[in-house]
Amino acid sequence: MTASNGIFALIVVAAAAFFSYNVQRLVGYLRVGRLDDSRWNDVPHRIWNLVTIGVFQRKIFRDAVAGPMHAAIFWGFCVLSAGTVEFLAAGIVPGFSFARFMPQWAFRFYMGNQDLWGALVIGAVAFALWRRLTHRVKRLQGAETHANDPLFILSWIGALMVTMFLAESFHMVAHAESATPFYRPISFALATMLTWVPVGAAEVIHAVSWWAHGLLVLGFLNYLPYSKHLHVVASLPNVYLSNTSGPGQVGVMQSMDLEADVEQFGAKDIEQLSWKSLMDGFACTECGRCTAVCPANITGKLLSPRKIIVNVRERLETRAPAVLMADGSGPVADDRLLLDGFITEQELWACTTCRACVQECPVSIDHVSVILEMRRNLVLSESRFPEEVVPAFESMEQRGSPWAFDPGERGKWSDGMHIPTMAELAERGETADLLYFVGCMGSFDERAKKTTVAFAKIMQAAGVNFAILGREEKCNGDPARRMGNEYLYQMLARENVETLAKYKVRTIVTACPHCMHQLGSEYPQFGGNYDVIHHSTFIEHLMAQGRVPLRQDLHEAVSTFTYHDSCYLGRYNQIYDAPRETLKRALPVVNLVEMPRSGDRGLCCGAGGGRMWMEENEGRRINAERADEALATGAQAVAVACPFCMTMLNDSISSRDAAIPVYDIAEVVAERLA
Amino acid sequence: MKLAVCIKRVPDMEGRFKIAASGTGIDEAGLKFDMSDFDGYAAEVAIQITEKLGAGEVTVISLGPDVVQETLRKALSMGAHRAVQLKHDAPVSDGLAIATALAAELKDRGYDLILCGRMAVDTQNRSTGAFIAELLGLPVITAISQLNVEGGVVRARRELEGAYELIECPLPAVVTIDEGIARARYPSLKGIMAAKKKPMDVRPAQLGAITYQLEKMELPAERAAGRIVGEGKDAVPELVRLLKEEAKVL
Repeated sequence: MTASNGIFALIVVAAAAFFSYNVQRLVGYLRVGRLDDSRWNDVPHRIWNLVTIGVFQRKIFRDAVAGPMHAAIFWGFCVLSAGTVEFLAAGIVPGFSFARFMPQWAFRFYMGNQDLWGALVIGAVAFALWRRLTHRVKRLQGAETHANDPLFILSWIGALMVTMFLAESFHMVAHAESATPFYRPISFALATMLTWVPVGAAEVIHAVSWWAHGLLVLGFLNYLPYSKHLHVVASLPNVYLSNTSGPGQVGVMQSMDLEADVEQFGAKDIEQLSWKSLMDGFACTECGRCTAVCPANITGKLLSPRKIIVNVRERLETRAPAVLMADGSGPVADDRLLLDGFITEQELWACTTCRACVQECPVSIDHVSVILEMRRNLVLSESRFPEEVVPAFESMEQRGSPWAFDPGERGKWSDGMHIPTMAELAERGETADLLYFVGCMGSFDERAKKTTVAFAKIMQAAGVNFAILGREEKCNGDPARRMGNEYLYQMLARENVETLAKYKVRTIVTACPHCMHQLGSEYPQFGGNYDVIHHSTFIEHLMAQGRVPLRQDLHEAVSTFTYHDSCYLGRYNQIYDAPRETLKRALPVVNLVEMPRSGDRGLCCGAGGGRMWMEENEGRRINAERADEALATGAQAVAVACPFCMTMLNDSISSRDAAIPVYDIAEVVAERLA
Repeated sequence: MKLAVCIKRVPDMEGRFKIAASGTGIDEAGLKFDMSDFDGYAAEVAIQITEKLGAGEVTVISLGPDVVQETLRKALSMGAHRAVQLKHDAPVSDGLAIATALAAELKDRGYDLILCGRMAVDTQNRSTGAFIAELLGLPVITAISQLNVEGGVVRARRELEGAYELIECPLPAVVTIDEGIARARYPSLKGIMAAKKKPMDVRPAQLGAITYQLEKMELPAERAAGRIVGEGKDAVPELVRLLKEEAKVL
């Protein structure tokens, strides 16, 4: 061991120690957050997420340009990390090489990959720098981003690669006798071009490059904790611990203990957020894919999901030391809380909870849960919310519907249709195979009632034995929960669970994706476990069984349809095909044209997350943005599978000169009933 | 400063009403109840006064059976400090008898300002506030849309048709609250939790003599169904003809 090995060993130890200190410091910060033990179950599923989303970059590839670029750098990083380990070990123990532990073929394969991936990384980094410097890619802009950090990091990675190749090729120049042309083709090619360099000079350049590479590696390692590039360390654990791609149903809000003796309901600051939400801040590398698909942001509103996550990390890094150091003397005073200090009410209320941001995030960050925890604080602790939602809250409480309709008239749409209520059946000692949970829109809204009637007619034509709850049905509570009013939500959910238990309901159909998500995915929190089937799935199933008698003629007034995906059907419940299949089965001669943003990339109609009851005065209207897109397909009609989407799209489209009809898929099928 | 707010529990006015078998009241089955809107504004105004002063106490009072405690609890969850139920199980329609019971409760308890809604949204008698003032010998300003209490003086504004008036009187006084002054706040969960620990006194109501009885309550006759003449431009001449000849409004 030489003096230089000794010095290098000391530097490596110091760098490792400092890095380890920082990792412990940051992991310690997570302790400031709220307990959340929903992250340790279903290890196989989590490993699956880690492998597909993490290792195989499933979500990264959703961007056809940045996807391959990032994957090259990431996979290169993985491969080259092995080389870095060998490099560091050889720096401390002279002559160290993996060749000692590997069969020759494996070692040669490994070496070849070092060269190959090194070159790919250089290419990808060069492309990334060029893209950043010459194309102002919209999603990479934004006041909340650390604008120079990416250029700095990319240059650093580039320098790492260049020094690696320089060290290797000048080593070959200096030691031509031991050069291994075949296994390190790129380094060898470089060396071949450099044979004119005198051996002594080559030795010096090799040594300088080697040290530069070593110091750059260790420096980079220690730069990470202070940069957005911390995602290198935090992403994979974040993907593993995230629930945004399962295990379990996605998009489910955690329940709250409303009797808890707590100072704050919901989150006013980072202490009330789940530790996992805080970790999201570490995993974010500000790529902006979330903000680029956010319907609020697209239409010119202040909300940017990326900013929410960047703010969480900013606040965490200033606040956590104060909390952790306060040794019982109470948190250090700091008047810039996460709520109001970093994130404004205006941003929080703009969210439609459409989950487009969550769907897009390559490292499985959950932006929506941060927003909703903060809404809970606004409503439950501070009673702060847009005043126009007060009537909705009061009406849900008073009448079990967000609109001021007489609860006694809930079943009125079914007058003359001979549809029994559960209560009527129970009185006769009978029961139904399934319950049709109509929902408030379907029961009271004039337009949505047509869908309700259409779906009921289809079921009757197919001979389905179903019943409704009539006046006993109440709002599923989704608007209250998404608007942060967990107290009102739990009241409604418990009442519904009680009613459903009374009739021993097992299977439920509904035409409303919000009802479906509540009853199917969130009611289990209150002991309500049902098979909940959306009408698109159910109608398709009935048609597949040949139970829906359709007219045989093929004359249609409309020859092209476009289908608009509902967020709560699609991104929350992964139902994309059933509504399309239903349309195709009902209308075999009709063309289905897709909007550019469809399937799991579908753009929200603007009504989710309680936005239905709020004014939309900021920026453009989301439904107008979506209506433009639908009209631009040239379709002659729009199909939807959600009463909220129906209202939003219909409102915007019907106000145009070139208005086209908006139908629910059930109406399309009912129209063709024989 | 001690403030008292008289509140009434009323049915949700969006519901469809049926007349009870007695013929002198509504059938309460299936109806939801809440605080009368104007009483909610009154409670809000009183709470805002104590919040602004950083001192003072708001007592909410309601007359009726035990279910009114629910309504009182809502006022407590908005931020009122204590509640009194004047227990009386049978329905009473005589405003003077009710005002007498409320006045007996309000008397000699040192209230500086007594607030009532301009009227109960169900019975719309508009009498209780003024009766209370008369029974207590206090000045009263009715149906106010703005209120300022300072230096022992009440200044209030009343909306008139196309004009308004400003009225001043010394404390103690009674005011009745019109809309437009303040929206009743939506109670936070924090408020709801705090309300569970606030004092709720129950005393028997000392009703005054009944001066009149409600004889009979009836629903208006059902309106005849509308008729759709047609759609679009073509329907206009027929519509005009019907408006002229049948409805005789043109």
